[in-house]
Amino acid sequence: MAGRRMRSMALAIATVLTAAIVVPVATAGASGRAAVPAAASAKCPLGALKKASKPVEITYWHSMSRANGETLTRLTDAYNASQSAVKVTLVNQTTYNDTLTKYVAGLSSGDLPDLVQIEDTALQQMIDSQSVVPAQACVKADKYDLSGHVQRVLDYYTVDGTLWPMPFNVSNPVFYYNKKAFIQAGLDPNKPPATLDEITAASKKLADSGAVSKAGFGLKTDPWTLEQFLAKAGQPYVNNGNGRKARATAVQFDTKEGLEIFTWMSAMVKSGLAIVNPNEGTAQYDNALGIGNGTNAMTIDTSALLGTISTLLASGAYPNVELGVAPMPGPAGKGGILVGGAANYISNKSDPAKQAAAWDFAKYLNTTQVQADWAAGTGYVPVVEAATETPEVQALWAKDPGYKVAYDQLITGVNNVATAGPVIGAYKAVRDAVIAGEESMFTQGVKPKAALKAAKAKADAAIEEYNTRVGG
Amino acid sequence: MTEVGAAQGIDLAIEGPEPEAPRRRWFKRERREALLGLALVVPALVIFCAFIFYPFLKNFELALYRTAPFPGLPDTYVGLDQIRDVLGSSQFWNSLTITVLFAILTVPIGIGLGLGLAVLAHQQLKGVAVYRTIFSSTVATSVAVASVIFGTLFNAQVGLLPWLGVDPKIPFLENPNMVLGVFPIALVAVAGVTIWQNLGLSFILMSAGLQAVPDDLLEAAEVDGAGSWSRFRNVTLPMLSPTIFFAVIIGGIFAFQTFGQIDLLTQGGPDEKTNVLTFFIVDELRGQKNAGKAAVLAIALFVVTLTLTLFQMRFLEKRVNYER
Amino acid sequence: MSASPVPVDAALLTETPRDAVFFRQTKARRRRSLRTFGRYTLLSVLAFLVLFPIYITVVNSLLTPEQIASRPPTLFPTDPTWGTYGEAWNTGHLGEYLKNSFIMTGIIVFFQLLTATLAAYAFAFLEFPFKRLLFVVFLATLMVPFEVTIITNLNTVVDLGIYDSYLGLAIPFLATGFGAFLLRQSFLTVPRDLKDAAALDGYGHLRFLARVVVPLSRPTMAALAVFAFLSSWNQYLWPLLVTKDDKYRTVQIGLKQLRNTNIDQINVTFAGVVIAIIPLAILLLLFQKQLVRGLTAGAVKG
Repeated sequence: MAGRRMRSMALAIATVLTAAIVVPVATAGASGRAAVPAAASAKCPLGALKKASKPVEITYWHSMSRANGETLTRLTDAYNASQSAVKVTLVNQTTYNDTLTKYVAGLSSGDLPDLVQIEDTALQQMIDSQSVVPAQACVKADKYDLSGHVQRVLDYYTVDGTLWPMPFNVSNPVFYYNKKAFIQAGLDPNKPPATLDEITAASKKLADSGAVSKAGFGLKTDPWTLEQFLAKAGQPYVNNGNGRKARATAVQFDTKEGLEIFTWMSAMVKSGLAIVNPNEGTAQYDNALGIGNGTNAMTIDTSALLGTISTLLASGAYPNVELGVAPMPGPAGKGGILVGGAANYISNKSDPAKQAAAWDFAKYLNTTQVQADWAAGTGYVPVVEAATETPEVQALWAKDPGYKVAYDQLITGVNNVATAGPVIGAYKAVRDAVIAGEESMFTQGVKPKAALKAAKAKADAAIEEYNTRVGG
Repeated sequence: MTEVGAAQGIDLAIEGPEPEAPRRRWFKRERREALLGLALVVPALVIFCAFIFYPFLKNFELALYRTAPFPGLPDTYVGLDQIRDVLGSSQFWNSLTITVLFAILTVPIGIGLGLGLAVLAHQQLKGVAVYRTIFSSTVATSVAVASVIFGTLFNAQVGLLPWLGVDPKIPFLENPNMVLGVFPIALVAVAGVTIWQNLGLSFILMSAGLQAVPDDLLEAAEVDGAGSWSRFRNVTLPMLSPTIFFAVIIGGIFAFQTFGQIDLLTQGGPDEKTNVLTFFIVDELRGQKNAGKAAVLAIALFVVTLTLTLFQMRFLEKRVNYER
Repeated sequence: MSASPVPVDAALLTETPRDAVFFRQTKARRRRSLRTFGRYTLLSVLAFLVLFPIYITVVNSLLTPEQIASRPPTLFPTDPTWGTYGEAWNTGHLGEYLKNSFIMTGIIVFFQLLTATLAAYAFAFLEFPFKRLLFVVFLATLMVPFEVTIITNLNTVVDLGIYDSYLGLAIPFLATGFGAFLLRQSFLTVPRDLKDAAALDGYGHLRFLARVVVPLSRPTMAALAVFAFLSSWNQYLWPLLVTKDDKYRTVQIGLKQLRNTNIDQINVTFAGVVIAIIPLAILLLLFQKQLVRGLTAGAVKG
């Protein structure tokens, strides 16, 4: 009798297990999953603002800190004071990463802002999330004139004819160096390195002369370097028209130029001509701080740091530093520097009145005068060309030409598919793959070619996984 | 076989030693007892079904869908493709290898150290109780406690390693290079923390086992002229084998469920060199919101743990000496 | 194990001057005391190594950050800063975290004991359909690692509306297959005569359970309680997933939070660690015997 019971028990378990697997398989096809709706049909409800009771209160999530945060607060207060239709409350989410994470979490919890500042690389993700009103819809409804904006900036944020966010703060990498250290090393302070080889040579001289205590160049393990390098060479970073003609399915950075920059980084670190620091965590600004402390005399980092650096230097704490800012060194080609920074997205989960209010505030942030104030207060590049002719910006550039470098980089070169920048859904994973490749060269001595190949393999796998998850 | 009770008129009475009763009451009694039995088992059963069996089975369904990266968007049905992709990926095999390496590092050393300490503290020395308390003290520490302590000790800025004479160029917890060509240094560091934290438990277990070794057997061996090492090998160890066997099985299962230390110390890095399966699952779930992939990994974890346990039971139990 | 007796060597059986015998015995005694000294040294070194991390933690919790960073490091707090404990308790929210841990653990221990006792009683004393199958099911729960269930459990808890609450923290752990197994073993040892006597006295099941079975199984139940307390208190993964801010955070997750917000004040973090250890240390000192029994159940024969 026990045996019979055992057998019927086993049969029962087997049935349950089979049912658990078979039933969902069988019913899956039948449940008719909805197709992904197109973007073109999105509407911008401008009328709702006029009808709503004033003031319409909206929340704006941003990640601007220190000097940049103060400037943003000042500009927002001015906006709130200047009119009574819209009241903006600022919420500082600290880092771009935190903002995006909280935003995605908000998509399930409902805890969302009305306007959100999201970093450049998350463009495809924001499109895929189907949670934003494309700026293009508001541009159309409001008959807004985009022609005053910097072309490359518009190119970056426009996919398939639709401008998704309103561009706001733009930065790109520039070359920072200590002129005084250059003099000490016998280098011309007004002729900073323009190619990788020149950086190597300068590093050598700086180390030999004792002008630096550790190494000539401070190298941040940043995937940006690879992206910008290839853009300067005029090469698209991913396939399918840099991800703009159709969804990107593979990276294309395993080219001669890609190998060149990886080899250069590896050689610099190996020979001790460069010191390395990570791009996250407490040590992420060591390359810049190193210039102040004399551990290194050159680095490549975002132009957005310039405001903070200038303030630090002005305090007199670093008498041995005279800061020089120059365009990012790189290969010559039919290309140019990529747009970096962040842009403002309007959430489509808010009330129509709030959506319209968000558009109104975003427009304000891109008016000539505000852009001029913004650039002067932060060092971000104005996205509106007229702002560069205002007295504020002209005075800023005259006083400190370093601020002009980032802007010049954006308007020189060619505007093509390479300089429009890559659009990748799995951007963060691709960047992680590049960082892993760089780190494997620096900490484990992996050869540049193998590191680049491994990075490509990882990046491609990540892209494919993202694409299948999105159903495209 | 149920006994027929005859306690009259009292409901839910337990069986007593009385023989006869009319058939109808017999059935009623049995039915009542059956209902009571089931009722007493139901509360636990409900919890098990809702929070153990249902989630376990649901993984099989989740594994068939690629989860959309954003909430509110539809999941894509892909059948067995996702399972095939995940189980064939180098990321998965890396994780599996790392998990096994971690178990290899922690289980034998943990048991060995526990046994060693237990033997040393088993002697009749004055005040040995103090040592026994100290050796069991890490039982009061949790994974979080041990990780926060050691994480800070290992820290480059505020740690104590330089004072101890060790100044690693790359901090232990961020070092992807290999020891013995196979074990990433970061993994070894985390394993060290785990071994320390488990030491108390291992010591208690081995001590309890040692106490069960009968003294007369050892004395008999001594009279026969066996030296202390020989006594240990031929008498103590075999008598300890059930305890050691138990420790290996349980130790293996726990090693495969390591999570807290990784989350607090290395977050799966550097370069995924400490990406044990449990951390992989939680990272996919919490970070990538990829429930489908996490489900495949969870099933893999179950299969691996089950296989390991069955394998150990089959092959190791033969060497266990159960006789007295 | 007693030390070996003075070796009886053949020389003693022959005629030997008393001095020689005395000398030989002293040498043996000296060798013995040397060995004992060696044993104490070894034990002490090992004890130091095992205790060092905890010792350093306690010491550092009483130093200032400058003292902690100084080289050579301070090994004993000559001027202890007790304020770190207050800081960890208040600003570090450790008081709240401890409270949350206690409540969660209390709920789990209570319900585990309850469900295990009821189920074990049924398995030990009652007959019901599918009894053997259900017992196998109870044991099968031990085979499923917890990590395998978290995906769906998280969804379930959110759907039930108990995400980020005490019930949410405790609910997956309210029943234990191990506990039912353990208590069933213990209940089965209740002597036949007691059962019969109770039946004669007209005891119902409930009274039998409460007045006879439970008191007899008290040691095992205590062991189970201590074991359940230990494992719930130390839970890390589930509380991490199911809480989102300080309101319901438990001590283990609280330590992570404390460490992240006090990078420049590690003395406060260490004070928090000490506070986190204390409840367990007290529990273990008081209930050592029960703990050992609970931990070794199933391990040691006899």
